[in-house]
Parts: sequence; structure tokens; C-alpha cells
Amino acid sequence: MSVEHRFLVRELKLVLARPGDFFKPMWFLILVISMVPLALSPDSKLLGEIGSAMIWVATLLALLLNADQLFRDDFVDGVLEQWLFFNRPLFWLVILKLFCHWLFYVVPLILVTPLAGMMLSVPNDVMIALLVTLLLATPALTCFSALGAALTLGTARSGILGVLVMLPLFAPVIILAAGVLTRASDGSDILPLLALLGAFSIAAATLLPLAVGVALRLNIGGSS
Amino acid sequence: MGWRWFHEWGSPKWFYDRAGRWQRVCGFLALALLLVGTLWGLGFAPADYQQGNSYRIIYLHVPVAFLAQALYVAMAVCAIVLFVWKMKLADVGMQALAVVGFGFTVLALFSGSIWGKPTWGTYWVWDARLTSMLILGFLYLGLIGLRSAIKNPDLAGKACAILVLVGVVNLPIIKYSVEWWSALHQPASFKLTEKPAMPASMWVPLLINLLGYYLVAAYLVLASMRTVILDRERGSAWVREVIERD
Amino acid sequence: MLIKPKTLQFQNLTCVRDDRCLFADLSMTLPPGSLLRVAGPNGAGKTTLLRILSALHEPDSGTVQIGEVEDHLESRQEILYLGHKPQVCQDLSIMDNLMFLTDASQAICFQALQFVGLKGCEDSLVRELSQGQGRRCGLARLWCHEVPIWILDEPYTALDPGMVAILEDRINIHVGEGGVCVFTTHQNPTNLRFETLELARVS
Repeated sequence: MSVEHRFLVRELKLVLARPGDFFKPMWFLILVISMVPLALSPDSKLLGEIGSAMIWVATLLALLLNADQLFRDDFVDGVLEQWLFFNRPLFWLVILKLFCHWLFYVVPLILVTPLAGMMLSVPNDVMIALLVTLLLATPALTCFSALGAALTLGTARSGILGVLVMLPLFAPVIILAAGVLTRASDGSDILPLLALLGAFSIAAATLLPLAVGVALRLNIGGSS
Repeated sequence: MGWRWFHEWGSPKWFYDRAGRWQRVCGFLALALLLVGTLWGLGFAPADYQQGNSYRIIYLHVPVAFLAQALYVAMAVCAIVLFVWKMKLADVGMQALAVVGFGFTVLALFSGSIWGKPTWGTYWVWDARLTSMLILGFLYLGLIGLRSAIKNPDLAGKACAILVLVGVVNLPIIKYSVEWWSALHQPASFKLTEKPAMPASMWVPLLINLLGYYLVAAYLVLASMRTVILDRERGSAWVREVIERD
Repeated sequence: MLIKPKTLQFQNLTCVRDDRCLFADLSMTLPPGSLLRVAGPNGAGKTTLLRILSALHEPDSGTVQIGEVEDHLESRQEILYLGHKPQVCQDLSIMDNLMFLTDASQAICFQALQFVGLKGCEDSLVRELSQGQGRRCGLARLWCHEVPIWILDEPYTALDPGMVAILEDRINIHVGEGGVCVFTTHQNPTNLRFETLELARVS
């Protein structure tokens, strides 16, 4: 079996072996969204206005729940250092890993967001724009949080540091996505902004795995 | 080889001694320049026709905000040097620059919000420059946090270098996106863009202060680099000598 | 199983860790069929040396070369490295772990698990098994790969005497086929003929 095939199979089996990691972000998202009307007001007009932004931020935070675990278990068990003996460049393995993570954890989470949209009475056309921005933006976000996770592997315990370190870099993605949502709600053209968002994601998904690879290599070399 | 000077720079003891001298020079020059620039700016420069005297905080705010960004770029240069030439001194520089840079960012935010009160009527608005300065502050804070969380200093240095390089590529994107965002949400009258050109009696002291604060930054960076060197080399004989001497 | 015999050589290896010189100027050539034990007290740098030979760690100076390829990183797939971390994922079954780490077919993996005495627990999760059984799962890779250079860090850890004998037989077969094996252990191998590289703890 090729390395790529083995990677995919293993990631899929890991999802099945750890259902908690799969459902927890969704649970978190719905829970946070149900707190919004309690904290604000049950007025559906008001909720509809801020709903899409709330869902965006809640999804972002839900994504970060699992981010720290991306490499940590494999690093501690010593599986990560075996990656180096596969006949593939490290950044390619990182891309594979991140793609699997995106496909198996992030996409299912995005598919739950329409439910959150209904809870906050977000209009349908805004909801569609929201789904598209999430799909376009999450590859970049996954790459950034992976870098945070890889950089903090050398810390003694797992924690939120990787998220804190990376969150400021999310600003352009959030701004672009919010721009799309504003335009979608007043009915103007969202395509140019979506193109920018997609470009950012593509750039991040091609360049950041290199940095993640260097960070992983550093941590493998630095541990004895 | 003509690289001798380069390797001398890599020697912590050599640098520690030289930096001590440079530090003193920077300190005195900074004091002189700041004295001239600040007195001139606060006492003799004309008042602004719109803002009156409150504009005078620019003699602190502008240089400090400028430096907060410049120090990040300096850190990126250190990161490249660390990766290409594996020079440990560059790592020491990064560590010192992160702390000093964070200090300058906080000062810039603080002076900016003091300036905001008479100008905008509130301490904080989500102005493009304030917002990107805030994000810059978080980036600095992340670097300091990352370094203090990783026990192995070698690993910590290289991890920080990666973060700095990713950050420096992102900073312009952040800056432009924040500017775009703020233009989208705020009426243009909120901004101070269309100011009349400053007369020389206003900008000359500003320039002097800018140079002065550059030297202050150099002084602080050198001082904290020396402390970091002493800490990292604490096992070696020359550090014990230095400590007994002083 | 056939391997292409390769020579492992290292020259002037030096490693400094936290301002302490672990070893300096180590040079050695290990032609096909060599079995080398790296010995020394704790903290002498055995693991570091093994990780350098596996290209996981960079030496402060010196080179490692496998066969004719000068770039050590290029020839990494000639190495089988068994570290003292378990190198298995606790949440996956024995078989899934093994299938991820080798490109061998399922049939060969089944056979390998039989050799290390894990027949019948192929589908058990690693965390349900004992530490020794997890260790055996890692060792099963020795029966899957066709790789000339073996680097084994403390392979005897947590193994019972029966498994130790099986492992020693396997090492002997590998060396007999022209493979190279470098290992460390604090126990005394009874059934192996090896050279020893003694690392002293220098302060």
C-alpha cells in the first residue's frame, strides 16, 4: 500500500476510535449558539443580524478545540518520528495529515452550522454565504492552528498556548469572511471577496505545511 | 577567511564586552536627543490649528508606534540569521527584541488611547491603526509566551524564529485587511488622514525624537541581550569572573 | 526476505548537549554483516548516537553515510529505527498500527505478528494489552521490513526471556543475510556475537 493510502486509512480509523473528538466540537458549537439568545435577547430580528458573525466565531473556537491534539499523541508515542522514514518529504505528509483532519473533523462541523443558523434565524442567503466562507477559510485556519500545535510540541503539557499564539494571525481570514457576510446580507456581489478568501487559503495551504514540517523536525530532533 | 568578524560576533563573551560600551554610548546619545526633541516639541513647536496642544503627544506616540513595528522586522532579520548561519547571538537578539517590542507596542497603544480621548472623545475606537497595533501586541505576546513555555532554549529559539517569519509575512496582510475593514465600517470623518502638511518646526523635533527613541530601543535591547547572555552562559568561567568583578 | 546489503559508516561524529560534550570524533565503518552494541552508562549519549545514525538528530559535526549515497537524509528509507518510545498508537489495534508503519502486505503482517507471539490479538487495541505486548507490536516490524540497516534502542525492554530468544534469533538472521544492526541494551545478550562501542560519560 502506498504511504498516502496508509495515512488515509489510519486517520479514518482514528476518527472511529475516538468518537469523542469528532462530536465534541459540534456539541460545543450548538451549546455556545444556544447561549447567545440567553445572553442577548430572544428577538429573532436582532439575532438574525448578528447570528452569522456569532456562528463564525463559535465555529472558529470549536475548530480550535482539537487543534492542540493534531500531533501531540503521535509525538509522545514516537509515531511521529517514524514519519521521517517514509519515502516522502515531510511537508507532503503534513499536507496529507491536515487534509485528513480537515475532511474528517472540520467538514462535518461545517455541515452542522445550518442548524445553528436556524437557531439564530439567520436568513437563507446569508447562511449559504456563511457555508461557502467556512469551506473556503477553514483550510487556512487548519494550517495556522497546525503550526501552533507543532510549535508547542516542545512544551511540557498540552494546552491552549498554540491557539493563543496563532489566533492573531487569523485576523485577515475573519475580516474577509465577515466582509462576505455583510455583503451577502445586503445583497451585493460576494464573488470578489470569496476569490480573495480562496486565494489566501490556497497560499496558506501550500506554504504553511513547509513551516509545520520544519517545526515538527525541530521537535523530533530536540527530543531524546 | 574574511569571516573572522562574523565568528567573533558569535562569541558571547566578545559581544557582552562590546555591547556594554555601545550601550553606554546609546544611552547618552538617546538622553541628549530626547531632551532636545521633547523640550522643543512640547515647549516651542507651534500648536496644531485643529487639535490645539493635545497633538503634542505625537512626540511620544509616533516614534514609539514606528519602533514597535520596526522591532518586529528586526526580529525577522534575526530569525533569518539564526536559520541561515545558526548564530546563537541572533536568538539572544530575538528574545530581547520580543520583550522590548512588546513594551513599545503597549506604550504606543497607551499613548494612542490617551490621544484618542481629546480627539475622538473616547479612549478606544476600532481605528485601523489601533487595531493592527493591538494585533501586533498579541503577536509579540505569543512569542514571549512560546519562548517561556519551551524548556529547551535551542528549541525555543528556533520555534520562535518560525513564528516570527510566519508573522512577518502575515503582518502586511493583516495591516491591509484591517485598513480595508475599518474603511468598510467607519465614516471617513473619523480619520485624521487629510491633515495639512506639517511645518518644519513641528516635524524636526519629531525626527529628533524618533532618532532618540531608536537609541532608547537599542539601549534596552543591548541591555536585555546582555542579561540573557549572562543567564544562558551561567555555567561558564567568564560569567563567574564578570559577576565577581561587578 | 532479501535485503540489499549496505555499509553504514560515520566519521568524526561530535555531539554537544547543553554545553556538555557527549562524544567527540567517533568514527567507524560497519560493513554488511556487522553487529554493534553501543554501551555506556546512563547519560553517555547512546540514544543520541543512535538517533544521529538514524538521521533523526543532527550531529554538531561529522557525517553519517549509508552505502554510496553521501546525503544521509536521502538514504533514510534504508533504516529501520526502533526507539525507546513505544511507536504505536494506543487507540488503534495491533494490526492497524503495524499496517501503518510498514508497506508490507497484510499477509506478511499476520505472519510477523505470529512470530512475536501476538497471534490472536491482531484486532485488540494497544491500550488493552500489556506493555510487553505493545513492545512486541513494535518489534513485529523486524519481520516486515526488508531494510538493511537496523537501529534498535533498548529492544529488550519489557520482554520476557522467550521473546528475547526470538529477537536474538531474528537479529542473527538479519546479520547473516548481510544486514547491519546497531543496538543498545543494559542486559547481557547471550546468543549474539557483537562488537562493542563503549561511550564513557565525560563531564
